[in-house]
Amino acid sequence: MTLTKATHASKSGDFGKRKSYIKRYWQLYALLSLPLVYFLIFRYGPMYGVQIAFKDFNLFQGINGSEWIGLEAFREVFAMNDFYITLRNTFMLNFLDLLVSFPAPIILAIMLYEIRNAWFKKISQTLLYIPHFISWVIIGGIVYQLFGTQSGMVNAILQGLGMDPLPFLTDKNSWLITYLFTGVWQSAGWGTILYLAALTGVNKELFEAADVDGASRMKKIWHITLPSIKPTIITLLILNLGKMVSIGFDRPYIIGNTAVREYSDVLSTFVYRIGLESGQYTLATVVGLFQAVVGLVFILGSNYISKKVTGDGIM
Amino acid sequence: MTGKTRRGVIKKAMGAAIATVMGVGLLSGCGGGEASTKEGAAAGANGERVTLKVEVFDRGNSPSPYTITNNWLTQYVQKEFGDKNNIDVEFVPVQRSEETTKLNVLMASASDVPDIVFVYDSSVFYRYAQQGGLTDVGELIKEHGPNLQKYLGDETLKFGQLEGKQFAIPGKRAITARYNSYIRQDWLDKVGMKAPTTTDELYETLKAFKEKDPAGLGAKNIPMGMALAPAQYETLIYSFIKPVEGDLTYSQRYELPLHEGFKESMQFLNKLYNEGLISPDFSLDEEKEQLYKDFQNGNIGYMSEDVGQILYADGGLDNLTKNVPDSKIAALDAYTNPNADGKHIKSRYGPNGMYIMIPKSSKRSVEAIKYLDWMTSDNNLLTMSTGVEGENYDLVDGIPVIKEDAPQETKDRVYNGGDMAIMANGKVIGDQEMNEKAWIAGFPKNNQKLMRESIDIANTDTVGPIVFDRPIEAESKYGTALNDKLKIVIVQSAMAKPDQFEAVYEREMKDYMNIGGTALKEELEQALQEKK
Repeated sequence: MTLTKATHASKSGDFGKRKSYIKRYWQLYALLSLPLVYFLIFRYGPMYGVQIAFKDFNLFQGINGSEWIGLEAFREVFAMNDFYITLRNTFMLNFLDLLVSFPAPIILAIMLYEIRNAWFKKISQTLLYIPHFISWVIIGGIVYQLFGTQSGMVNAILQGLGMDPLPFLTDKNSWLITYLFTGVWQSAGWGTILYLAALTGVNKELFEAADVDGASRMKKIWHITLPSIKPTIITLLILNLGKMVSIGFDRPYIIGNTAVREYSDVLSTFVYRIGLESGQYTLATVVGLFQAVVGLVFILGSNYISKKVTGDGIM
Repeated sequence: MTGKTRRGVIKKAMGAAIATVMGVGLLSGCGGGEASTKEGAAAGANGERVTLKVEVFDRGNSPSPYTITNNWLTQYVQKEFGDKNNIDVEFVPVQRSEETTKLNVLMASASDVPDIVFVYDSSVFYRYAQQGGLTDVGELIKEHGPNLQKYLGDETLKFGQLEGKQFAIPGKRAITARYNSYIRQDWLDKVGMKAPTTTDELYETLKAFKEKDPAGLGAKNIPMGMALAPAQYETLIYSFIKPVEGDLTYSQRYELPLHEGFKESMQFLNKLYNEGLISPDFSLDEEKEQLYKDFQNGNIGYMSEDVGQILYADGGLDNLTKNVPDSKIAALDAYTNPNADGKHIKSRYGPNGMYIMIPKSSKRSVEAIKYLDWMTSDNNLLTMSTGVEGENYDLVDGIPVIKEDAPQETKDRVYNGGDMAIMANGKVIGDQEMNEKAWIAGFPKNNQKLMRESIDIANTDTVGPIVFDRPIEAESKYGTALNDKLKIVIVQSAMAKPDQFEAVYEREMKDYMNIGGTALKEELEQALQEKK
């Protein structure tokens, strides 16, 4: 109904232009409003609770009823030994993960791209995606069944071959390897999707021209395939760097255990422990807030560097 | 695998769901604030029908057609208590494994919190009380809970008091017997040894089990079953530590490292581990799953367990007998404590069970007390835990004997009886001796003799918890962190190479002291002084 009015008004001047703009695009804005509402309620709304970090939060008084304590909780957290250990572990696990898990889908995508047999390509792609849909909980179960020192299948095979069992889960260094490769197994296949999508846009003529010039397969990968997915690689790298300080809860919590706590205890499991298990909400909020701030610094920093170095960025 | 996975599913659910719920819970919590307990207290009496919400543990084991919130017992409660008092009783399920985390979330929301909640962990209770979240029920019990008062007595009620105020109603524990050990008699016979009677003899026996491999298991042979669970490591630790005061000592598990002799226990564990005498992956086995698998497959020579735990119908022992027909299990009391005159020191439970609490925001505190009072009156506790006389059980010399031939339907009535009868932990029939008899009567006929022996052993040379008349603040502050640290101390000390034991132990203990151990030690010692 308002629309019909708008048509009349759209006859002349800036005002009219704006009206016709709204008239033309209002549906897009209406569509956008839903996600906006989602973000307001579920992303920005809870930020109200961030003030818990500056209050001596009392469960029964609620947020408003609790007393302000300034930065006292921050001091307490920064004096905790566990905080530094979990911070170090978060960086360590994320960094190693980046080293191991980040190149894996790129290599895999290039390999898939090079396969000419469409049927084989489709089958292997599907097989590679499947682990992504398995929850960490189930992967945890599989890992325990496979890698247990005495009950694990892998060690049973090793022992059958006359070798000593390896403590995949209980020695912290072996555990790191288990942790990293489980990650690759779970995510590498899924990660190829974006790269493969980027590769579909590559002009086939480039390859034909290279063929004419007598370029080897490796040369083609190096000079055509890789440069064409460079922007995708950079975008994903920036996103990953931004997540450096945040770490999923499931993976370290489920794959980790008491014997390797020295490495497997990360910020998210730390927050869970002090916040939900010990009920020290203030301290948990402090750690969460700290994590968010450092994450922001990382993402802005890596974006800045990327723009300087390569001219590409995400903002 | 299924077990491990299931545990994981719960973990996952906690991680994702609770994190979300918490945010919402906190938000809604801020509006609520204080609510008077007086107003509407007598609403039920005025003829207006009110709703009483009661927490109940959900173990995900409801037999069809029942659900955790609608089953024979909830109907029984509604009919016998609710309808007669004009009250709708509504049960609020809480996953057993996320007891505290879920409770923390519930307590933060003024509207969802049940009128009756409970927790085993005393430090959680203290924290709620100190933050002013609980109703003082002292007067209410006097007015509305004569049966309750009689049932608990002043001694048990004391566990729920804080600075003279009754902030919790402790459940009563039927039996204080806690741990016991079992050995494979057939293995002993094969290696030609007598049942060990001291810790040293036990060690020799375990070594013989390892070297002679009486069952011919090869790499699967586990002389001593171990898990990262209290029943396994507490028994070992208690056989080295010196109790603080005669037959009493600090009550919390994470206070074990503050005892003289703790280091020796870790040294012993280290020796057992490095000589390959205990389960190699015990550090992964917090739920005793691998332990039971190994035990039932006949791979374990000796282990400690919660008393009676392996003796339930179709439990560990029955499965072992099925898998290894010529196996024979004997109850054993081998551990002797060099720091306590060579006695068979072991832990016992305190006389109290759960801390049952009424949140301050509850408007139904009177009804809540009435409910608990009703539960402890007449035969209700017995009915709730065991079922109907003549159908579920027969009374023989005052002891309810379960009718094993009762139809499954009838048995299913009380499938969660232990969780519904919150005022009792175990079957409270009369005194300790009666309770033990009743407990034993609940086991399969074949296992009853071994159960009797197990209980007798579990009652030998026990050490109970010291009760202070004020809360130890360091417990509520550092308890969870220290509990966690204790596990690390145990695992790291056990798994260190023998020549590195000293260094690893010192490092972990230093950490333990730093993250709250020192503060806890000082406060405990001070409280001990005040008590004298």
